[in-house]
Amino acid sequence: MSNEVWVVADLKIDGSVRQVTFEALSEARKKIAGKLGGELCGVLIGSGVSGHAAELGKYGAEKVYVVDNELLKDFNTEGYTIALSELIKKHSPAVVIAGNTVFGQDYFPAVAARVGAGVTMDAIEIDLTNDKKLKIKRFSHSSKAIPTQVFLDHHPMMTTVRPNSFKAVEDPKTPEVVDGAVTINSGDIKSKVIEIKTKGSDRPELTEAERVVSGGRGLGSEENFKYIYQLADMLGAAAGATRAAVDAGYCPYDMQVGQTGKAVSPNLYIAIAISGSVQHFAGMGSSKVIVAINKDPEAPIFQKCDYGIVGDLFDVLPPFTEKVRALVSQS
Amino acid sequence: MKILVIVSQTQDTEAKIKVSAAGNSIDTEGMKWIMNPYDEFAVEEAIQTKEKHGGEVVVVSMGPARVVETIRQALAMGADSALHILDEGSPDMDSFAMGKIIAGEIRKLGGFDIVFTGMKIIDEESGQVGVQIAEELGIPHVSLVSKVIEINPSANKAVCQKEIDGGHMVVEVPLPCLITCPDAMNEPRYASLPGIMKAKKKPLTEVKVSDTNLDGLARVKTVEIKVPQIERKLRIIKGQDGPMVKGAEVEKSAEELIKLLREEAKVI
Ligand SMILES: Cc1cc2nc3c(=O)[nH]c(=O)nc-3n(C[C@H](O)[C@H](O)[C@H](O)COP(=O)(O)OP(=O)(O)OC[C@H]3O[C@@H](n4cnc5c(N)ncnc54)[C@H](O)[C@@H]3O)c2cc1C
Ligand SMILES: Nc1ncnc2c1ncn2[C@@H]1O[C@H](COP(=O)(O)O)[C@@H](O)[C@H]1O
Repeated sequence: MSNEVWVVADLKIDGSVRQVTFEALSEARKKIAGKLGGELCGVLIGSGVSGHAAELGKYGAEKVYVVDNELLKDFNTEGYTIALSELIKKHSPAVVIAGNTVFGQDYFPAVAARVGAGVTMDAIEIDLTNDKKLKIKRFSHSSKAIPTQVFLDHHPMMTTVRPNSFKAVEDPKTPEVVDGAVTINSGDIKSKVIEIKTKGSDRPELTEAERVVSGGRGLGSEENFKYIYQLADMLGAAAGATRAAVDAGYCPYDMQVGQTGKAVSPNLYIAIAISGSVQHFAGMGSSKVIVAINKDPEAPIFQKCDYGIVGDLFDVLPPFTEKVRALVSQS
Repeated sequence: MKILVIVSQTQDTEAKIKVSAAGNSIDTEGMKWIMNPYDEFAVEEAIQTKEKHGGEVVVVSMGPARVVETIRQALAMGADSALHILDEGSPDMDSFAMGKIIAGEIRKLGGFDIVFTGMKIIDEESGQVGVQIAEELGIPHVSLVSKVIEINPSANKAVCQKEIDGGHMVVEVPLPCLITCPDAMNEPRYASLPGIMKAKKKPLTEVKVSDTNLDGLARVKTVEIKVPQIERKLRIIKGQDGPMVKGAEVEKSAEELIKLLREEAKVI
């Protein structure tokens, strides 16, 4: 068993490295690698991905394992599971971390099961106990509770971490690049990705954004969601929505914030025509400042926000957006 | 087809949460127990699959005696039989051990074509048991499926849509496979009165966890639970006559909110 601490890079569909990877590297360096006395390592899985090693080095990776394989060109569950489990079996790291993204949620528990490791999902704090066991905090019970969990005597110890929970801090290193070639037979990959559809957006990603503007069922139509997008763009914010708005077809599912959607934790969360359900708060309740605009003074959200206006969004939003515009153009 | 659905019972987290005296668990005294909402979608998907392709739906659930109520609910919705893995609160249970035990019992059942689970349990929110079961069974899985496009037993495959950041992915997977269900993938049906009557007579087998060797199975231990205390400012701007801001108040309220966000909260 080695003392290495691994952070598996999460790649976007366009091939770039997701911010949560840098956040995880920074936090793992600060809280774990030093105390454990092991090297901080990045892991790149994909096809033609070795070029990213330098970016991982920028955030402190001293070594980068690269599993480069044609069969891993796009994310696929089994390919990734084989790649990471084989790499773990060969090099026996102490701790393995990944982002709690759609992909992390999909293959990380499978890898853990395959190598016999324990895994926790969606950690918001990571640390090491005095006897060098991974210790994490995360949300449970629809974000109404925060359990602390400690790993028992098994290796490796694995966790995913929630995006936007840690600061990405540069600590430039020139990493040693290690060829992590593993044998993957195309027959081992039983499930096939037959289509990937993405639509580009200029807005920041929900889980990474400093500011989020979200709309609920009260918007009334897809057309009216332009009010959300206008304000979001004015603030450089990501655009989000409730499940009710997504269900009604006002906007796509990848905008859904909440227990089933994305977990966000921005500095500023503006909730427009959102009642404030437990399930929605499970995804945004830890935002630093919460603002609500709602026409119902009894809406639950007014019991759990910082600032609010009781008013019709169609009255309030246009002048509010206009004033934000004036402010932005001043500065 | 032999269709399995793995359901759990959960604390209703709409309720207020209180930490137990020991400090490392939730006080469940007087707590309402419900079928895990995501597992309702799994049950519905399982029943729809049976309605299309014929066969049977078998419910598997692990937990203390009270989970029989949840099992009966699934049977009343239309599942045919059930396996209850009785666990009266083994102290060293964690998600890893749970996944192993459930997968072990599924293996004994054998002969299944497809397995549905929820995406996560809403009390503990561990979010891993479904995927782990697939891995233990050695079958492929598709997680967080927003739409089952097609299940084709004769071609031995399923086609599922799954949402990813900025778009979606369509995955084709051979049977047997496991699918984890998020919300909104279907409309779970209510149990009808005749359904509830029939459910009482459907076969329910019980096995005991105490017959399984749990030594050294757990990987993680919960040492403490805290209830987060976030103080919110609750500065709500209202109208003069009636709760809503109207007329000239609208402009003023927008101005005031901007000022608060800028000068007090310092977020814009
Ligand atoms: C298993 C499960 C998982 C779920 N997961 C999620 C999740 O991930 N995310 C999520 O968001 N929900 C989730 N939900 C749904 C959740 O319970 C609520 O139904 C949902 O959040 C409500 O969305 P909403 O606030 O937009 O709609 P509503 O509750 O209908 O509220 C609309 C609000 O808009 C206000 N309004 C209407 N018109 C105007 C106007 N002109 N001006 C100003 N205000 C106006 C109304 O006063 C009202 O408060 C889940 C539910 C279940 C059972
Ligand atoms: N005790 C249990 N009995 C049966 N199924 C379970 C149990 N715990 C979890 N599951 C299944 O695994 C899914 C994910 O749960 P979890 O990993 O605990 O969040 C649930 O939605 C259920 O389908």
